Amino acid sequence: MPKDLHDNICKESVFESIYNKYSKDLHNFLYYKYGEQFNPNDKAQDAFIKLWDNCKNVTLSKAKSFLFTVANNMVLNDIKHQKVVLKYKQIKPKHYTNETPEFILEQEQFLERYKEALANLSEEYRIAFLLNKVEGKRHNEIAELLGVTRKVVEYRIYKAFNSLKSELEGFKIK
Amino acid sequence: MNKEYLIEKWLKGDLTDSEMEVFSQLEDYQFNMDILESAKHFNASHFSNIDDFETFKKERLTNKEVHKLNWLQPLIRIASVVIIAFGIYFTFFYNHLTRVQTLASEKTTIELPDYSKVTLNALSEIEYHKADWENNRLLKLKGEAYFKVAKGKIFDVVTTDGIVTVVGTEFNVKQRDNYFEVKCFEGVVEVTSDTIIRQLKAGDTYQILNGKFIHKKTTYKVPQWTHNISNFNGIPLYEIIAELERQYNLKVTFKNVDINRIFTGGFVHDNIENALISITEPMNLNYEISTSNQVVIHGDKK
Repeated sequence: MPKDLHDNICKESVFESIYNKYSKDLHNFLYYKYGEQFNPNDKAQDAFIKLWDNCKNVTLSKAKSFLFTVANNMVLNDIKHQKVVLKYKQIKPKHYTNETPEFILEQEQFLERYKEALANLSEEYRIAFLLNKVEGKRHNEIAELLGVTRKVVEYRIYKAFNSLKSELEGFKIK
Repeated sequence: MNKEYLIEKWLKGDLTDSEMEVFSQLEDYQFNMDILESAKHFNASHFSNIDDFETFKKERLTNKEVHKLNWLQPLIRIASVVIIAFGIYFTFFYNHLTRVQTLASEKTTIELPDYSKVTLNALSEIEYHKADWENNRLLKLKGEAYFKVAKGKIFDVVTTDGIVTVVGTEFNVKQRDNYFEVKCFEGVVEVTSDTIIRQLKAGDTYQILNGKFIHKKTTYKVPQWTHNISNFNGIPLYEIIAELERQYNLKVTFKNVDINRIFTGGFVHDNIENALISITEPMNLNYEISTSNQVVIHGDKK
C-alpha cells in the first residue's frame, strides 16, 4: 500500500516524469505508424490527458501500456482509410562527399518512391521497421510496445525490408 | 549460405564476422545498405515532435482541475453546508417573529426582552421580534392582554382596531369582535383608533363598542381577569357570553334571549355553575348544561 502512494500518478511530479519518459516514444510511435496527418503531437498529448484523468485507476507499472493503447485507439478512431504520408527530408548522408545534380535528382526520386513504398506497407510492418531502423529501438522493446513476441517483430522487419526492396528495385544504384 | 538467411540475420544485427564477410560481398549489398540508410530520412523528429512538459502543462493540463487540490473540494463542500446552515439559522432566528398564543380557558404570562410583562387572556395571540426587540418595539395583539411595561420603555401594541403607544405603564388592551377597549392602570397610554386619539391616564378606559367610542373610568388597579374574574359594566350580553365561552371552552346557544341586553356584573373563571348563575340570574334567564362544553341559555321561566 505505501509503495503505491509514492508512485501515485495523480501527483504532478510523478506524472511529469512519466511524460518526460514516454512522450517522445509515444509520439514517434504514432508518427511512424500513422503519419503526420493524424497529428501525432496532439494525439499523444490526448493520451496523456486521459492518463491524468484516470490517474487513480492506473498504476505506475501499467502507465506505458495504457498510454500506447489509448493513443493507438484514438488514432484508429480518426482514420477513415486515409493514406499515410510520411515526409522525407533531404539530409546529407555522411559517406557521400560529392553530389552531382543528376545524383541529387535521382536521390529525390528515390526518396519519393521510398515514401510511397513506406506508405504501402502495412502499419504493423512499417512501425516495426522504422522503430528499429530509424529510432534504433531493440527488438524486445518493440515487441513490448506492440504487444507481440520478439520473433514476430523480427518477422515484420524482414517483411518490411523485402517489400521496400522490391518496390525500389528500379533504383538500384550501380 | 542462403542470401535470405544472411539478410535476415543482418536485419537482426546477428551476423558473425565470417557471415558479415559474405554478406558484404553480395551483389545487392550496397542496395541493401541504401535502403536502411534512406530510412533515416524519414525520422519523425524532423517533422513532428511532441511538446515538452511545460508546454503540455500550460496548454492542456491547466484547464483540468489539478489533483493536488483534491483536498479542497470536500472542504468547499463542508464550508458551503456551514454557510447554508448559518443562513437558515439567521433567517429563522434573527428576525424571528415570536408568537405566543392561548387557547380557550388558557391564560399565560410572558416576559419581553426588556423585562416588560405581558399576560394573555384566553384565545389571544401576540407577535413580536424577540431578537430585534431593542430596535423593533412593535407587538401585535389579537385578543386581550395586560401589559406591565418596564419603566422608561416605549413600545407599540398594534391591533386591527387600534394602536396603543405606551411609556412605562400598566394597561389592558382588549380586542374582540366589534369590541376594542384599552384600560390604563398606571402611567400614560396613547390610543389611536381610526381618527380617535386619546391619552389615557390611570383609571381611564377607552372603548369602541360596535363602532361607538366611549370614554369610561375604572376603579380597579389591575384587570380583573388576571385574578380569574371577568367584570363588565354596561356591556351587551353577547359579549359576556363570548368571554364565558373563551374562559370555559364552551359553546353557548340561545333560545328566546335578547342578546343585546346590557349587562353589568361579572363571573368567576373557576366554576361554571357559579359563572352561569352570575350571568343568568340578574337577567332573569335559565341555563342548561347539555354536555361538558355545551350550554343552552333560554329565556323561559322554569
